[in-house]
Amino acid sequence: MQDKTFMRDMASQAATAFKAGRLDRRSFLMFCGMAGVASLAVQAGDAEAAANEIVMWNWGGQSEQCHGDAIGKPFTAATGIPLKFDTSGPLQGKIKEMVDSGKVTADVCDADGFDAIALGRSGHLEPIDYNIVNKKQIKEGVAWEHGVGVIFYGYAFMYDTQAFGANPPANWADFFDTKKFPGKRSLYKWANGSIEGALLADGVAKDKVYPCDVPRALEKIKSIKADSLYWGSGSEAHDMIVNGEVAMGMIWQNRGKAIEEDSKGRYKLVMNEAIAMPGAYIVPKNNPAGRDNVMKFIQQALQVESQLMLLDCLGMTPSNPEAFAKIAEAMQPYAINSAMNIDKVVFNDPVWWAEKGGDAVNAFLDAIG
Amino acid sequence: MAEIATQRRPSPYWLLAAPAVVMLLVLYAAPIINVLLLSFTDPKPGFGNYAKIIESDTVGRLIWTTIRLCLITTVCAVTLGYIVAYAMLHALHHVRRRMMAILLISFWISVLVRSFAWLMLLGHNGLVNNALIAMGLIAEPIAFVRNELGVLIGMTEYMVPYAILPLLANMQGIDTRVLCASRSLGASGVQTFLRVFLPLTKPGIIAASLLVFISSLGFYVTPAILGGGKVQMIAEYISVQLLVTVRWGTAAMLATLMLVCVLTLMYVLNRFMKLSTIFGGGAR
Repeated sequence: MQDKTFMRDMASQAATAFKAGRLDRRSFLMFCGMAGVASLAVQAGDAEAAANEIVMWNWGGQSEQCHGDAIGKPFTAATGIPLKFDTSGPLQGKIKEMVDSGKVTADVCDADGFDAIALGRSGHLEPIDYNIVNKKQIKEGVAWEHGVGVIFYGYAFMYDTQAFGANPPANWADFFDTKKFPGKRSLYKWANGSIEGALLADGVAKDKVYPCDVPRALEKIKSIKADSLYWGSGSEAHDMIVNGEVAMGMIWQNRGKAIEEDSKGRYKLVMNEAIAMPGAYIVPKNNPAGRDNVMKFIQQALQVESQLMLLDCLGMTPSNPEAFAKIAEAMQPYAINSAMNIDKVVFNDPVWWAEKGGDAVNAFLDAIG
Repeated sequence: MAEIATQRRPSPYWLLAAPAVVMLLVLYAAPIINVLLLSFTDPKPGFGNYAKIIESDTVGRLIWTTIRLCLITTVCAVTLGYIVAYAMLHALHHVRRRMMAILLISFWISVLVRSFAWLMLLGHNGLVNNALIAMGLIAEPIAFVRNELGVLIGMTEYMVPYAILPLLANMQGIDTRVLCASRSLGASGVQTFLRVFLPLTKPGIIAASLLVFISSLGFYVTPAILGGGKVQMIAEYISVQLLVTVRWGTAAMLATLMLVCVLTLMYVLNRFMKLSTIFGGGAR
């Protein structure tokens, strides 16, 4: 009996070491063999499967191919570990549920900065190992204890040049001015960007947006309530603009680029005062591939080549300052951190959103409902 | 004593159902109990979440919007369903069979597909608006969708088949000789319908209404797509509280509230009509 317990323990130790990258595959299998694979087949199988891949939890669509090419390929080439995907969208509640249930199936989530703060505080994330991840390759302010701001995306808006071609809107104040610029508007349903845009429109200075004065923002939003629609997904936002449902619509800036190109410039993106969101890579507590492997993966995502490919493929803007100067001419107008835009945008405060976001979203839903 | 014991022993046929019952208990009852517990324990133990029903304007507004939309949907779907069921009752046998096939096929079309189809048909740039503009009937597109009207259209369309089946089952059970008797005693067609047929279909109307209302309570995709963000019903709000704001206590409370409503209405429904007859099961 004791022998069996010992063997089981040895195999599970070996599995842990293997997961963490401290033990190579051959030795691991040898340990399994010694311990009697038959009795431990399932355990060993699980550990092997887990350590042999990184599972990235993202939002599907094109991102699967782009993350695969930009990060997965060089990562696999360097480590031999393949990249797999779960494309069901790592919303905060889902990550929390996964970690609480004890059945963690993802290694890294393509989430938001405020998720990194909120879930880090509630103990649902692995801390980032800054011995492996190079802090110098991360934009200042987005290298958090439990997440890395690997990319930036933004809430900007688009307008129809056929409606406002002669006198185009230039900022959120114009967006919220339905007298000067008649027509409907669309905003994001779950408050991000919408609250900041409303405050900027109401005359709040860019550096005074946080902490957000939510009641003030909601007053501004209510002022266009009759003329507004709200979207929950990128494709919905896209449709509202290109189907002419709105004259101006809030949009993720990478979608905006696609719409500009598809419509041959009929709909134009305004990057001035766009709300820049850090997209965080976060690691659920007790991720199956072990911490070291996933940290190496995050470090790969920060490399200039990968960063520029993500920009090219997904329109996600680099976070690594070394990449800023290398943003291609054609991408400059759409990239958050390009020389052209970096001073025009407003950087989201994920700490404020982590602390007050829940209340803000509910108050926002109340105001538009 | 021994005799009584044998009598009380359940029929062995129940054993055949046991695997299904056990599976349902494990897969349904356990998570539901978990949700119930969560509504009393998150974020802190007590009745705090339930106090929101009275204290919070948002929860009150959500409940009211949901009930209002479900009631309108019920009236529209049952009215339309009654007409179709009546037509099916009087249709020739092979026509009725075809109608039934179409009805059943409609159950297989996902609510997501239907919602997007409505957007394509009734949207700002949709088929109907474009046609009306081309014909010169309107100058500006009519806002059929991305508002409450859109949600009601989507919900009603989805619910009509659910209204037809119990109504048809009920109508088929009516003895047609009663109607002949009414006519032979001098009542006109309209009088026969209003004073004989309609009262006889009352159980069907009640069953259909309850079934449609109960099913409407859980609408999530339709208001999310056709409501333009401004029409908020309980199901979508629950999802936001679960996934975005991570207020599981609030979500669990609303889910429990809905469950209690549904179970109560099911109980009432069962009193009016054996549940099995709703889908044409024999209890005639």
